[in-house]
Amino acid sequence: MSKQNGGRRAVVVGGVRTPFVKAFTDFTKLDTIALGVAAVSGLLKKAGLRHRDVESIVWGGVILPPTQPNIAREIALDLRLDPGCEGHTVTRACASGLQAVTAAAAEIERGNLDVVIAGGSDSTSNATIALPPKVVHALAPLALGKPSPSDYLGVLSQLTPITEILPRQPKIAERTTGEVMGESAERMAKRNEITREAQDAFAVRSHHRAAAAIASGRFDDEITPVQSPEGKWVHADGLVRADTSVDKLAKLRPAFAKDGTLTAGNSSALTDGAASVLLMSEEKARALGIKPLAAISSWSYVGVDPADQLLMGPALAMPKALDRAGLKLQDVDLVDMHEAFAAQVLSVLKMLASGPFARARLGRDQAVGEVDPDRLNIHGGSLALGHPFGATGARMVTTMANELARTGKRTALLGICAAGGLGAAAVLERVD
Amino acid sequence: MSDFLVELGKNPRARALVQSLGLPIPLPQALKRERGPWRERPLADATVAVGATSGAELVPALAECLAAAGANPYLSVPDSLAGSFRGPGETFGRPPRALHALSETAKANALVFDATGVSDVRGLRAVYDFFHPLVTRIAKSGRVVVLGRPTDGAKPETAAAQAALDGFVRSLAKEVGRVGATANLVVVAMGAEGRVGPVLRFLLSARSAFVTGQPVFVGTRVRAIAEPPLVRPLEKKIALVTGAARGIGEATAKSLAAEGAHVVCLDRPADDGPTSQLARSIGGTALGADMADEDAPAKIADALRGLGGVDVVVHNAGITRDRTIARMKPEVWDQVLEINLAAVVRTTAALEPLLRENARIVCLSSIAGIAGNMGQTNYAASKGGIVAFVRATAERLADRGIAVNAVAPGFIETRMTAAIPVAIREVARRLSALGQGGQPEDVAQVITFLASPGAHGITGRTLRVCGGAFIGA
Repeated sequence: MSKQNGGRRAVVVGGVRTPFVKAFTDFTKLDTIALGVAAVSGLLKKAGLRHRDVESIVWGGVILPPTQPNIAREIALDLRLDPGCEGHTVTRACASGLQAVTAAAAEIERGNLDVVIAGGSDSTSNATIALPPKVVHALAPLALGKPSPSDYLGVLSQLTPITEILPRQPKIAERTTGEVMGESAERMAKRNEITREAQDAFAVRSHHRAAAAIASGRFDDEITPVQSPEGKWVHADGLVRADTSVDKLAKLRPAFAKDGTLTAGNSSALTDGAASVLLMSEEKARALGIKPLAAISSWSYVGVDPADQLLMGPALAMPKALDRAGLKLQDVDLVDMHEAFAAQVLSVLKMLASGPFARARLGRDQAVGEVDPDRLNIHGGSLALGHPFGATGARMVTTMANELARTGKRTALLGICAAGGLGAAAVLERVD
Repeated sequence: MSDFLVELGKNPRARALVQSLGLPIPLPQALKRERGPWRERPLADATVAVGATSGAELVPALAECLAAAGANPYLSVPDSLAGSFRGPGETFGRPPRALHALSETAKANALVFDATGVSDVRGLRAVYDFFHPLVTRIAKSGRVVVLGRPTDGAKPETAAAQAALDGFVRSLAKEVGRVGATANLVVVAMGAEGRVGPVLRFLLSARSAFVTGQPVFVGTRVRAIAEPPLVRPLEKKIALVTGAARGIGEATAKSLAAEGAHVVCLDRPADDGPTSQLARSIGGTALGADMADEDAPAKIADALRGLGGVDVVVHNAGITRDRTIARMKPEVWDQVLEINLAAVVRTTAALEPLLRENARIVCLSSIAGIAGNMGQTNYAASKGGIVAFVRATAERLADRGIAVNAVAPGFIETRMTAAIPVAIREVARRLSALGQGGQPEDVAQVITFLASPGAHGITGRTLRVCGGAFIGA
């Protein structure tokens, strides 16, 4: 069923992540590389691998440090892995973590590599505040060569008015539309007629399920404790609220539009964290005596017009990934969707369930299908756990691979929406 | 070539001042236009009020078109027809809402009324009922489209009721022109329902800024094209534009190229400079030929044969030599008819074997050829000739899937009209429903639409691009 290349198949053998915490809290002093180091070292410890077994790191990130953008390599070097363990960094907005996993799987299936660590991290707390290009361009004569006094005057004359040269607040806005993502999601809520009540109920369920998973110890294997530079040990996710309720969320004010329905409660929060996944060729895993958790059956990436419905991508990507795996939605035991906003997930679910949508947008007679709420995001999602952009895909792969291995369920479908109108999806299958 | 009054009208204070002082100065509304290549959702987030009577037959096509183009429909239609909007609404996230749910202060970007169900004079009351409360709520540069059926073969009263829509729309165009809005009637033949989508998409968009006050006929004469492309409609197509060096020809060449066509830009050898520059900038080919020369058609045919044929031919080259007939010299008469009409006839004949399947021919007529114009007997004769030429040629070529149409520009701001004495020019500009001249791009947009695969419902017709000229067909 999975995509074969010379009979090779990429399998997930383990995954470890840091706790996910709200930006500007415990991890403020850990940049994205440090968070990646924490996740990967936890993974290596758990997997019991020799350093030299790891051939490559593929890492995903959205806010990359401007002077060290190849964080994959920096993680390998910081961990003193074998110098031969090369690394590259990928970025596909919020699908970067999944992108790292599928890029690793492709390398393995092609026969280039046998053992790869994939993952992703982001530290919103360490987003660089850049000077506007106007300042950079104006200052160029001073930085290069020997400036004369008239050059200094020239620079001063270019730096007016002052408002144009102040550093801007970093904002996750679409480059083409200028809309921040919450505004796009707000429009999706309106256009797909997703009510505030439905969004809040969905968010509450995410929190309750994540809290139950934490309480039951379900995530213990997946999370490695991290010590902050201040010496504090962080063991658990910081954003999950076991005690939240529809009544509490109903009190929150709209965050993106005066008459809007999106609030801080039904939108994912800015988060710091990292997640890593260990992938191997199936033969290598067996040779090392490791039982794989799951295989990567298929994946799909799509794009839609950002000016239309920015975050609808999964409604196109998920059916494609299912097709490539030879599956139908009703065959799938688990569905895990990135929860950027409750409104976005509910919009995508509505599209998947729509016959007219399937006919016009997917070229098929039947709706993809209704997603059974009992199979969807069974341990919560980004609304409760948080969303360190580059890490989310790797977190989802780990949780679903573990779920397949633990429960005897056969297949899991993943769906992620991303900035730029991108959509991503993947199918994982159990390995017997 | 800017229009002072349009520019002045853009300043809200000046506009308020002129109005409050009651100055007898017209301040035409600056028209909203769209530049750049076609977009997949040209009506993104537009508020469109939709009306229909029972028995309206184009509601499903309308529902599909509006949602796919990105519009939010607000319905005032019989319950039995509202269901058509549900599927497309779900598909594109444009759920239909009731018209009364639209806030009192909200403006509508377009008003669309499906009047195909109107079969008697009493039924016309529904048209009044829909437009009467809404017409003041139309947004600046808004759109009105009424959908009707052809009158031939209809019962006398039905024919009368449907023809009444024509007069209605022409008059409404004059009333809404004040705010830069347009009004058109789309007459859809039986069986052409599937071809109305691209026409609506165009007429409701900002690309039809200067098209108003006329019927547009959609029929089944040429072969239908399954799913005409919504963007990049001219990819892989070869286009010829004559008189491409400047004005409407230049704008047309640019617009065709923006949609993906390889454009052969033709102008007189004396204009080689601007023609070559244009061809270079749009990745096309320059071709020097004087349309007055008898051997020009052969030369053009040779060039196009080298490119493997031609998909779009735009006969734009034309001249004016204005004189009242009493003062007109015979050579001036001959020259104008030669270039504006005879050359079109012989070039079309020479290119006929080179036209590829589903090709499109667009000729330039003129409002002068339809309504007549003082001092332009020669010009108007040539341009009037074009109207019948496209009708007859369309019939000849229809079986090859080729559509042949003309556009008839009114007052367009070009080098030609800039040469008109200022007083006459000023009057000419204001003598239209929109109270201003059009831009060459406005004509280019209509030509590009007629050149596209989606224009498969329109052939043998002359579309006016005149802003609702005061006197005009």
